[in-house]
Amino acid sequence: MGLLERQFEENVLTTRVDWLLNWCRLSSIWPMTFGLACCAIEMMAVGCAHHDLDRFGAGAFRASPRQADLMIVAGTVNFKMAERIKRLYDQMPAPKYVIAMGACATGGGPYYKYGYTVVKGVDRVVPVDVYVAGCPPRPEALLEGLMKLQEKIQRSSVLRRPARTA
Amino acid sequence: MVEAKTVETQTLPQSAPGEREFMLDVRTQDMEVNMGPQHPATHGVMRILVRADGEVCTGAQPHLGYLHRCAEKIGENVEWLQYLPYTDRYDYLAAMNNNLGYSMAVEKLMGIEIPRRALMIRTICAELNRIGSHLIAFGTYGLDIGAFTPFLYMFREREWMMALFEKICGARLTYSYIRIGGVFNDAPPGWLSEVERFCDTFEQKWQEYVDLLMVNHIFVQRTANIGVISRAMALDFGLTGPMLRGSGVDWDLRRDMPYELYAEIWKDGVFSIPLGRGEHGTLGDCWDRSYVRVMEMIESIKIVRWCLGAITPGPVIADIPKTLRVPAGEAYVGIENPRGELGHYVVSDGGKVAVRCRVRGPSFTNLAVLEELMPGALLADAVAIIGSTDIVVGETDR
Amino acid sequence: MDFRGILDRLRATGAPGLLGHDLPRAADPKDKKDKGRGGDPFLWVEPAQLPAFLERCRDDERLRFELLIDLTAVDPSKDDPNLWVVVSLLSLAHRHRLTVKCALPKAAASLPSSVPVYRAAQWHERECGEMYGITFAGHPDPRHILLPEDWVGAPLRKDYVFPDEYHGISCK
Repeated sequence: MGLLERQFEENVLTTRVDWLLNWCRLSSIWPMTFGLACCAIEMMAVGCAHHDLDRFGAGAFRASPRQADLMIVAGTVNFKMAERIKRLYDQMPAPKYVIAMGACATGGGPYYKYGYTVVKGVDRVVPVDVYVAGCPPRPEALLEGLMKLQEKIQRSSVLRRPARTA
Repeated sequence: MVEAKTVETQTLPQSAPGEREFMLDVRTQDMEVNMGPQHPATHGVMRILVRADGEVCTGAQPHLGYLHRCAEKIGENVEWLQYLPYTDRYDYLAAMNNNLGYSMAVEKLMGIEIPRRALMIRTICAELNRIGSHLIAFGTYGLDIGAFTPFLYMFREREWMMALFEKICGARLTYSYIRIGGVFNDAPPGWLSEVERFCDTFEQKWQEYVDLLMVNHIFVQRTANIGVISRAMALDFGLTGPMLRGSGVDWDLRRDMPYELYAEIWKDGVFSIPLGRGEHGTLGDCWDRSYVRVMEMIESIKIVRWCLGAITPGPVIADIPKTLRVPAGEAYVGIENPRGELGHYVVSDGGKVAVRCRVRGPSFTNLAVLEELMPGALLADAVAIIGSTDIVVGETDR
Repeated sequence: MDFRGILDRLRATGAPGLLGHDLPRAADPKDKKDKGRGGDPFLWVEPAQLPAFLERCRDDERLRFELLIDLTAVDPSKDDPNLWVVVSLLSLAHRHRLTVKCALPKAAASLPSSVPVYRAAQWHERECGEMYGITFAGHPDPRHILLPEDWVGAPLRKDYVFPDEYHGISCK
């Protein structure tokens, strides 16, 4: 895919192919088991039968980052963990996405002011695609975050050259 | 440090006289394997540096601090009432118990009396949360061993319990409901009868868990005679909770140093304290600890039923000013968390902010025993041992 | 036994390092500044003798404090030249608790390690040492436990200054 990416003009054929590739990607986003703190419990609840994550195609949690598409950073990130998060992110193969789940991953959360080892938001360490607010966010909120990510993937262009202005 | 061992010559044991003898020059080396911080079976972000000779673990060193959130520093910088949400977040599986421990420590310094209805609701919430926490311990332990179904089953009950808590205080996981002086607000109408319905249904489901996992041949073989903690080891390491009771030590703060309503409840003969008995293996093995947790769930239901029968209308919070100034002094209060003794040691100088708010998390103390248990175990058993300690890394690291 | 009984037993058997005790008291009506003190009683012990004192608490028949519940420290205020090391003990046999305190000067905070007496002290002393800059002499493994290995400073002291950045990640 690497040689073909962003090489083609926008036309009916590439739009259709892009749509198909995006549909394949968004229907099978496989997350990595990466619960850090309290949000991890809500992430587990999302994966279970009541708020089923598998109906979005995202139910296959992979333990290894090399087999995962999505890193849901669920919980507080501190300095000791930040270096490991960066390493795990680097180990994930492209295309990869990150959801920052919860107030701590979004911006430091309740530990913002006096947490001396807390990183104020995981976006200081890895690039984030979707932020889900809450402390912890309801499972429905995480599902909405996943749906927003799916919309984002749907809008992305794989084969098509991005449009140039002027 | 890794040591290289050299085995210079080896004669195969089956060679009969006259058969060629094989000379093998085999060098083996201990391997250092990292379990975590990202690992499906470490119950959170914890790293265990395991030294393994093939499949046998020869040494284990837990590394903590990947979730250190400076809770104690925050306690010295925010006001007494503002600290309550932080207490939810160390043992996030039993948040009501954390709120209770902190509130009790501050109430001890203030010397105030809690209204009886508040005590009843507090006990109901704490025991329901104990059930929720043991459900997770049980479900994730099955997941670690390799049984996926109990995990889904237990989340069914846990969703119901979380729905009950959502009705009473609006939050599913981190409640901040049990406040200094009582509870935040009264139970909405119909809540108590819903709790009773939960108790009725739970008793049947509980029997399913026992039949599904606890007496399952494979589970027993994976957990019996593994990770044996003797009484002397348990006391030396300062273990509390199911870790201690699984080794047959009869100690439960709810009975032996009762707080809130537990003295009354114990006197009425409502609940008993399950102990490990070495039924399927050695006393103090992983199965015994799991057994204690599963049996404690049904004892908690009995306590909740007693409270439902004895609860009376009344106020639910004592009169606490909005800006609280706690009288000078220091107090330590230990309560029985699902994981052990959760202690809060608070020091006040009479101001709006604490001088010291120390949290003694049971998981932190319980985890230290891993350095003793892992050497000699197979790597698959190492996972079983870690799961049986039932730690929550939020409490280990605070 | 209650606190009085424990104190009398310790005095009667000549427990090493026992300096004194502190009881909760009501505010003195004659002195406006004295706010009194609530909460729990505790004992003051000489820091250099803490392990020997704890051993006496653990082994004496009438005391039998089998469990070390907590070993921590307190920085009472910026102006106070001392740190307190606070030890909580629990007896299962006799169902009583005890709180023991030692006062250490902030400039030279060091005392012998209690690991030979209670194995539970090992991790508690590591945490206490890194958070307050206290050295526990004779500790088998005095590494950082909760903080990163190269963290500088003792975070729980009152005069701690929060760092600006760590390994390229901003702290602000």
